[in-house]
Amino acid sequence: MKALSLYQDKGTFIHRVDSRSKLLYILAAILIPAVLHGFTVGLVLMALSLFLLVVAKVIRKVIPLVGFSFLILISVVVIQGLFYPGNRHVWFALGGLRFYQEGLVFSAGICVRVLNILCAVSILVLTTRPSDLIESLVRLGLSPHLGYVLSSVLQIIPQMTSTMETITDAQRSRGMETEGSLLVRIKAFLPLIGPVVMNSLVNTRERSLALEVRAFSSRAKKTFLNPPPGGMVNQVLPIVLLLAMVAAVVWRVLQ
Amino acid sequence: MKKIVVEGLKYRYPLTQDLALKGISFEIEQGEFVGIIGQNLSGKSTLCQALMGLVPHFYKGGYGGSVLVDGLNVERSEICELAQKVGLVFQNPFTQVSGSKMTVFEELAFGLENLGVARDQMKPRIESAMALLGISRFSQRNPFDLSGGQMQRMAIASVIAMEPEIIVLDEPTSQLDPQGSEEVFQAIQQLSKNGMTVIMVEHKIEKIARYSDRVMLLHQGAIVDFDTPERIFSRDDLADYGIEAPVFARVCRGLGIRNPASGLYPMTLDDAYDQVVNWHE
Repeated sequence: MKALSLYQDKGTFIHRVDSRSKLLYILAAILIPAVLHGFTVGLVLMALSLFLLVVAKVIRKVIPLVGFSFLILISVVVIQGLFYPGNRHVWFALGGLRFYQEGLVFSAGICVRVLNILCAVSILVLTTRPSDLIESLVRLGLSPHLGYVLSSVLQIIPQMTSTMETITDAQRSRGMETEGSLLVRIKAFLPLIGPVVMNSLVNTRERSLALEVRAFSSRAKKTFLNPPPGGMVNQVLPIVLLLAMVAAVVWRVLQ
Repeated sequence: MKKIVVEGLKYRYPLTQDLALKGISFEIEQGEFVGIIGQNLSGKSTLCQALMGLVPHFYKGGYGGSVLVDGLNVERSEICELAQKVGLVFQNPFTQVSGSKMTVFEELAFGLENLGVARDQMKPRIESAMALLGISRFSQRNPFDLSGGQMQRMAIASVIAMEPEIIVLDEPTSQLDPQGSEEVFQAIQQLSKNGMTVIMVEHKIEKIARYSDRVMLLHQGAIVDFDTPERIFSRDDLADYGIEAPVFARVCRGLGIRNPASGLYPMTLDDAYDQVVNWHE
């Protein structure tokens, strides 16, 4: 079924790592290159993320994400290359536009950071079931109500989309013009959106009744079907990541 | 033991003038299988929700009289407190999917997680509920990928997994084919035999006549009659309340065949067969 999720079910080792470790990894991928100077650390972390994505067999899904961000990154490179305040040395010129070394180096730094964050977030998003992620957040203290809202939205919005499609087909089968010029489309919009909104309101009421029946507002301490993530890796990995972050900060302070 | 005691229950939905329930009183014993019949807008669903506490706690509105469920006064209890005693299954299976779970198995666990049931108890409860409703083979499917009938079985199973003492079903077989609804009725009868109190709203009159211990006939928010299926469906004024007797009773009424012992019309196929054979001899 369609779901608002990029999760890829490949069942690799990376998929089994607890989502808390993956969240910490994102934090580390942002923090460590920001704290330490130079490209090297960022590049090393990026290489590590890419390696993990390859191991998790989801690297192909990263390409469109990176491709989309390239549009933005290219504009960053162009603008910084031309107008960075510290620009001194001209590197090359294209038809009268002079690109400066300092600006290009600065923008390269930004690119490394953005791609780094993107790859680290991809590991979380592509290899973690949304419901597992939210469950682990609830375990960490997120309100179960908010957790429910987050996880149900991922499934209920696709449901509303398919309701919309059904209604569109129904109205079209009764002879309504839904395609053509802008005016035709605007005229078709109201009779389509009306039933969708009414339908969702009714459904929302019924669903909240059904949730009450299943003790959603219970004040008993919530339990979880799935056991808490165990295993050596899930014990050790968060500590290693935290230590790495602390070490980076200490290193920077001592320098 | 009296499981449900309702006295003079009156209820009016907010922003309406007319009473949806007009002073209803009845008692239900533990382990009884009660069928509720009546036209649209006769108050069947409102009554179901009153047993769960959704009326008045969810809707608000005007409330009078008292509902005692297993000794708990519904008006003074919270819905989550009642949810441990009463399970309610609605008609539309699509809106009963919580939407936050990715598999049927997890969906059944949703209510148990909220109640705080220990993890080692969850699995056997979920598995037996799935087996009872015949959906074990879908346990790893996404709930939204099921057909209407499968979803309806899942909705019933997810309430049964919570192991309520009373289960209230509001047209639970609307999406099911005849064989499917027969299976669901048999599953529910099994629960009833194990001591669960069952209250079911249903338009499939033949099934109600066959499985219920007693039938409640509602009309415009009031109880017309609450008696055995034979007595209810042998009434001469059923048409006034928009109800048709089971087809076997109607045939026998046309032929003038009654059960000689009780003077009532037969309710089930087997019963009708016996009476017709007797009559010919």
